[in-house]
Amino acid sequence: MDVNDKIHAQLVKAGVRLAASLPDDWVNTLIRRISRDNQIHHVPVCREAETIAICAGAFFGGVRAVAIFGNTGLLTCTGEMATLCLRHAIPVFCIVSGRGSIDDHKVYQEVQGRRTIPLLQAYDYPFRIIDKEEEIEDIPNAYEWHRLQKRPFVLFLTKKLLGTAA
Amino acid sequence: MKVLAKHRGDAVVVCALGMAANEWWAVTRSEDSFYMHGGMGFAASFALGLALSIPRTPVWVLNSDGSLCMNTGCLITEAGQQPKNLKHFVVDNQCYQTVETMPIVNQGGADYTAIARGAGIQQAITVDGLADLDRLMPEIVAAQGPYFVRLRVEAEPDYQRAPPANYEGPEMKYRFGRALEKKLGIRVFGPRGF
Repeated sequence: MDVNDKIHAQLVKAGVRLAASLPDDWVNTLIRRISRDNQIHHVPVCREAETIAICAGAFFGGVRAVAIFGNTGLLTCTGEMATLCLRHAIPVFCIVSGRGSIDDHKVYQEVQGRRTIPLLQAYDYPFRIIDKEEEIEDIPNAYEWHRLQKRPFVLFLTKKLLGTAA
Repeated sequence: MKVLAKHRGDAVVVCALGMAANEWWAVTRSEDSFYMHGGMGFAASFALGLALSIPRTPVWVLNSDGSLCMNTGCLITEAGQQPKNLKHFVVDNQCYQTVETMPIVNQGGADYTAIARGAGIQQAITVDGLADLDRLMPEIVAAQGPYFVRLRVEAEPDYQRAPPANYEGPEMKYRFGRALEKKLGIRVFGPRGF
């Protein structure tokens, strides 16, 4: 069982039954695994903010959902996370690639690496960075906690964690 | 809105922010409707997530032309899912009614029905009058989704004629969630209320 299998398994353990996603190199393997799992309904979208609203709608259908996309996409949808989720106190669980890190040398990711965390802090969106395999087991706890927090929550996956899959 | 409400049946309704939401509230006073106060452009995505989660319950989204213009990609995502229980109404008054009726982008030049059809929603129609809407609604309600209905209406000169629902924010969440728990027998909130 590799890292992506473990993340997938912990999402299932947390009760996730719907995943909305937009590809990013680092999370594509996870997206492919989930799309093959009949227990989780997969919704590919056109832009990341759709995942936020889809997960919010699923919340009211009593279905646990997850939004999966890249760090660049996170920057694009913080407004919708605020005006929909903060406004109505709706929890949305996001899994995001921690792009722009010290070991990510793509020039188009450098701003994301510098400004994403300060931006989340400005909005008071809780987040957790996972870069060790043993921390993957915290996902079910994180899921319960984000419901209690009643707001968007971001779980960053690092290149160190994803290894060659990244 | 009165004609839509007459044909609503058991549908759960998601309203995009703006006058359509206010008027739906004025006509129905329904708590099993979600009156979105933000996330402009994303009521359709919210309704899609809801529809996929309660596949045996009809879900309507009362969208607006301004919101659709902000997120036309929602039509492609919706078509990709082909949700049988989702009906997508767009109130098209060719202006941003809640912001002093400023003209919509490319006013008069965009065919939203053609865009929906091009996105992959096979059933996409334009309705121009109340009598036509009343006549077509039984067919629209009975059909499997996705179904896109562009409702062409005139802009209201008095842009705040109908006030919004008298509750908002987190209360909207709990009233809507509790209404769905009661109506559908589902569990939205956990045993400790969150």
